Amino acid sequence: MIKSFGYAMDIGEQMLISGAEVHRVEESINRMCYALGAIRVDVFIITSSMVVTVYTKDGNTYTQTRRVTSTKNFDFEKLHHLNNLSREICEKGLTEQEIEKKLRAANNCKKIPVWFEFICYAVIAGAFTLFFGGNIIESFISLFVGAVVRLSLFFSGKIISNKFFDKFTATVIITLLAFLTVELGWIISVDKVIIANIMTLIPGIGLTNAIRDLFTGDSIAGLLRSIEAVLTALAIAAGYFLVTVLGGVFL
Amino acid sequence: MTQTEIIQILAGFVGSIGFAILFNIRGKRLIATAIGGLFSWLLFVVLIKYIKGEPVVYFIIACVISTYAEIMARVLKTPTSAFVTTSLVPLIPGGSLYYTMVYAFQGDLNTFLPKAIYTMQLASALSLGVIVSTSAARIFNKVFFNKNRNKI
Repeated sequence: MIKSFGYAMDIGEQMLISGAEVHRVEESINRMCYALGAIRVDVFIITSSMVVTVYTKDGNTYTQTRRVTSTKNFDFEKLHHLNNLSREICEKGLTEQEIEKKLRAANNCKKIPVWFEFICYAVIAGAFTLFFGGNIIESFISLFVGAVVRLSLFFSGKIISNKFFDKFTATVIITLLAFLTVELGWIISVDKVIIANIMTLIPGIGLTNAIRDLFTGDSIAGLLRSIEAVLTALAIAAGYFLVTVLGGVFL
Repeated sequence: MTQTEIIQILAGFVGSIGFAILFNIRGKRLIATAIGGLFSWLLFVVLIKYIKGEPVVYFIIACVISTYAEIMARVLKTPTSAFVTTSLVPLIPGGSLYYTMVYAFQGDLNTFLPKAIYTMQLASALSLGVIVSTSAARIFNKVFFNKNRNKI
């Protein structure tokens, strides 16, 4: 019984990491715990911590907390499986072993290979260059810069896992490459290449989701996410600014 | 529709597919998000000619796309956020947020403040549109189906 409540929290934690909204995770844990035989459930979740207290029929209370440290990466395939699992727990009432097996299966679901991420970054950058009004040459340059950005994120993630620093270095590289191509005379302006490549780094989705959290009533989670979005944008702008200032001094 | 608008729509479509693959959306769900991504900017190009003010257009498109997302989420039995997040990618005010920060660093208050307010307007319009549709879907479910099942 206690073990199943633990699994319910595991499912919630994984949902949070793979990009579910806070209120969805709260609701899922709530429903799962009731389905597992609780008479009252108190759930409190923010983006970095979870607290769940469960009251059982025999008069016991159990509280568990989780510190969510892993960085959030959108993984909707995993979220899909976890969502179906929590649905099944509510509707069919699975046993502990079944829950454990299915949770492990969901955690080990198919991921996209790393080399394919390089292609994705390149294609996104190339497409958004055209989207923001760049020409074909700028778009081709963006393709290469996009792949280099993924490479930079790959290495900085291995050396220092600080996402603000990751984005700062990536922006420095983007801006350097963009100014280099202008110096070589391949393109006229750096704007389109920089903006298109920054689309993969900029927390536009983060900001929109943060405001959504604020409006749905998860004020604390929303505030945390907005601050995160603003800080990320600051790190990106700082990277851009560093290169332009230094470039102005040396060129 | 001019040539640049068609290029924009197609580029936005490809971009949102790229994000969808990056966010590990597969199979039928990938096709559904791709269609959403295509229509989000198509709607923008059409609506901006008739309605003044980008935030209003953003709000309307967010409503339409997230209604579509709610329907697809129920058909394909997956969380709504998968469709909402990726289909609205062409509308995400990333460029505007970037310019806001560049102006902030340059220390020019006259360009920074309007841009910051504009970015917040766009982001709020988007998220409000999503919330309106999500709430409408919940009310619709309660009133017309009144199913007391464990829907998540």
